[in-house]
Amino acid sequence: MTLRPTTVTDLAALITESAAKHRALRLIGRGTWLDGGAPVARDAEPLHLDAFSGVIEYEPGDLTITVGAATTIEELDTVTAAHNQWCPLSPWGADGGSVGATIATATPGPFALVFGLPRDLVLGLECVDGTGKVLRPGGKVVKNVAGFDLVRLMTGSWGSLAAITRISLRLRARPAVDETWLVSLDAVAAARAQEALRRSGTPPIACEVTAAGLLDSASPAGLLVRIAGNAAVVAAARHEVTAAGDARRVDGAAWTQLRANKTQRAPRIPSSAEVRALNAGVQRAFDPARILNPGIMG
Amino acid sequence: MLERAAELLVYESDGLPGYHRTPSLAVFPASADEALAVVRELAREGVPFVPRGAGTGLSGGALADGAVLLGLQRLKRIIDIDPVRRVARVEPGVVNVTLTKAATRHGLHYAPDPSSQTACTLGGNLAENAGGPHCLKYGVTLNHVVAARVALPDGSVVELDGDDGGYDLLGAFVGSEGCFGVALELTVKLTPNPERIVTLLADFSSIDDAAQTVSAIIAAGILPAALEMMDQATVGAVEASIYAAGYPTDAAAVLLVEVDGAAVGLDEDVQGVNRICRAHGARDVRIATEPAARAKLWQGRKKAFGAMGRIAPHLVVQDAVVPRTKLPSLLARIADIGAANGVRVCNVFHAGDGNLHPNIPYNANDRDESARVHVAMRQIMQACIDAGGTITGEHGVGLDKLPYMDALFTPDTLDGMCRLRDVFDPERRANPGKVVPVRYCRERRPGKLMVDGRGQMVDGATAATITAESGA
Ligand SMILES: Cc1cc2nc3c(=O)[nH]c(=O)nc-3n(C[C@H](O)[C@H](O)[C@H](O)COP(=O)(O)OP(=O)(O)OC[C@H]3O[C@@H](n4cnc5c(N)ncnc54)[C@H](O)[C@@H]3O)c2cc1C
Repeated sequence: MTLRPTTVTDLAALITESAAKHRALRLIGRGTWLDGGAPVARDAEPLHLDAFSGVIEYEPGDLTITVGAATTIEELDTVTAAHNQWCPLSPWGADGGSVGATIATATPGPFALVFGLPRDLVLGLECVDGTGKVLRPGGKVVKNVAGFDLVRLMTGSWGSLAAITRISLRLRARPAVDETWLVSLDAVAAARAQEALRRSGTPPIACEVTAAGLLDSASPAGLLVRIAGNAAVVAAARHEVTAAGDARRVDGAAWTQLRANKTQRAPRIPSSAEVRALNAGVQRAFDPARILNPGIMG
Repeated sequence: MLERAAELLVYESDGLPGYHRTPSLAVFPASADEALAVVRELAREGVPFVPRGAGTGLSGGALADGAVLLGLQRLKRIIDIDPVRRVARVEPGVVNVTLTKAATRHGLHYAPDPSSQTACTLGGNLAENAGGPHCLKYGVTLNHVVAARVALPDGSVVELDGDDGGYDLLGAFVGSEGCFGVALELTVKLTPNPERIVTLLADFSSIDDAAQTVSAIIAAGILPAALEMMDQATVGAVEASIYAAGYPTDAAAVLLVEVDGAAVGLDEDVQGVNRICRAHGARDVRIATEPAARAKLWQGRKKAFGAMGRIAPHLVVQDAVVPRTKLPSLLARIADIGAANGVRVCNVFHAGDGNLHPNIPYNANDRDESARVHVAMRQIMQACIDAGGTITGEHGVGLDKLPYMDALFTPDTLDGMCRLRDVFDPERRANPGKVVPVRYCRERRPGKLMVDGRGQMVDGATAATITAESGA
């Protein structure tokens, strides 16, 4: 029988039962990146979370949104774009991946340097921990220090502490002007130009080295640069970009391609014994039966 | 080390008058090594303790009721500043603005700027996840701490590094209000100083217009460095004080807006803000570009709490956050609650974030007035929660907001928070009795000292009994 709960109550019951039976579970959002992380115990049963999907609350004036965890990055982009907004989460990987997986794996993307890591963008969440308890830390407001920070704890926990069911995120208004440029440069020059542009007075909102063939077989290796803001800022930034090398303006969709191509990081084991002990303590506190994605943290 | 009652009295409060708890002993180590030795000694003896920075906290967080107070303000060394990587390593007792001053010669500053920045410490900022006016654009303390060296209550030392593998324990530690251990060293980001800064002061004849303007500016895609609001009561208090900044006292509300960044393009943002303010009924918009003129506009805002101190001997300070679009209705509701209870609410707050600070000056010796103030506070808090907000945006829960935690979070969520705390401090000796009401921390540890729901030190078994008796 496929495990595919549709309500948080059912999910909690299912996890409670699994904990009692020591039945390991493999959490699946959209299933686009199941080889991410260290290998999960082979006998873990797939637990599909795709029912927790869609926009739950979106008040554009607040620049925040609450979505089901299995909502895809693509849907998040489409829904917010309709209000001239966006979520800078845009992680490395395919757009068919889920918001939940992005938060669970704390996968950043090309806009993280300017707009923050997943931990900086997530405001609150709902999740079911390994004991079957429903936790709702954080909230939907942009500033919040009430209580110990289970939101940061769950962000990047790779589904080893809890199954995330809903997430509130910070949004941004789309900039008035937004241009993407591809600058043809060899690897050394690209790295140098990247550093220089990032330190300029009008830095790009993203600036990534790319191999040849990103857009088509003829597209050169170099730097993919996104400059955005009001017209005057972008004019100044454009001047710097075009001075960096042979530059041509390309469609913003190039970012989706670039992100899809990039291999993502796996979780790493903490460097010191003391921190490893704390990590083990966290695991015992939230998934004492070790049933959620066992082994994934390495 | 202080142990005489009269000396300990100095440490019986923090920045929030109204709570008094006397520590059994106060220790002020002169170095990180000494601090660690103290933590280890306390661990050996099983004694509860409370870390304390400058004591400017506004939630009663640094009060030690019979516990040992561990003062960290002598640990004030800036260990190094790396202008290329743009990070600084500091001891926890460094005062916030001291770091910014030290970074100035590299064209850098430390971005989170609590209004108390001339006094509060970076260790206290870390523990509270402090914010400030400029956090609208630059983010709060969490977004600026890259690593922390922490003495756990059991005396072991951990390096929590945002780049390390495993769970985000640094993220969990930031904002843990001294309950997870003692930060002995911090590594924080430094931010390049903006090329140009412009400060605008817009005054409105209706508080609703001012509140609508806040949302309109953000929605227009302009991200000001700061967007602060003060109502007439606050402006009146400021202008009657030595901090007078030339604010219009007949305005129902003023907005203080700052835009910064590259010189090119800044005028577009300034004109954008100006236009939006006027379109929403601003009577006048003053634009300050010179440092002296800007500093004057800011002075009143930064000293507003002090100015309120002139109105009455005591002050309650709240810190709820609501979704930005709810600001107009919430401000109206707060005014109604104030009027209904016959108390004077002064609003001065981080409007761009929806982070309210409704403050009520009053006389605590007047029992009737105190009672009305407390009713009003509870009603305001409930209104903010009902609007989808939270009870604290930057000051922390401490003791002051404990009673509201279960209005905001489910028992299971509170229990989850306790479990996280127990990973760092299984004996619950670090800052006991704060942040999460004890009754939600299910597992009892008989024989160990803990603080019950009334803030009294008792052993674990007794605490459980008391909680059961009070029906909580
Ligand atoms: C006039 C005024 C204006 C303010 N404005 C703001 C504002 O704009 N934004 C804002 O966020 N806050 C503001 N505050 C509140 C306060 O200044 C901040 O919370 C500040 O971060 C506290 O720092 P402190 O050194 O005074 O900490 P303390 O009050 O000494 O302690 C606060 C908490 O931190 C813990 N702690 C302190 N040092 C350490 C350490 N090294 N390791 C572990 N735990 C530690 C304590 O146990 C306690 O729980 C204001 C306060 C005042 C009086």
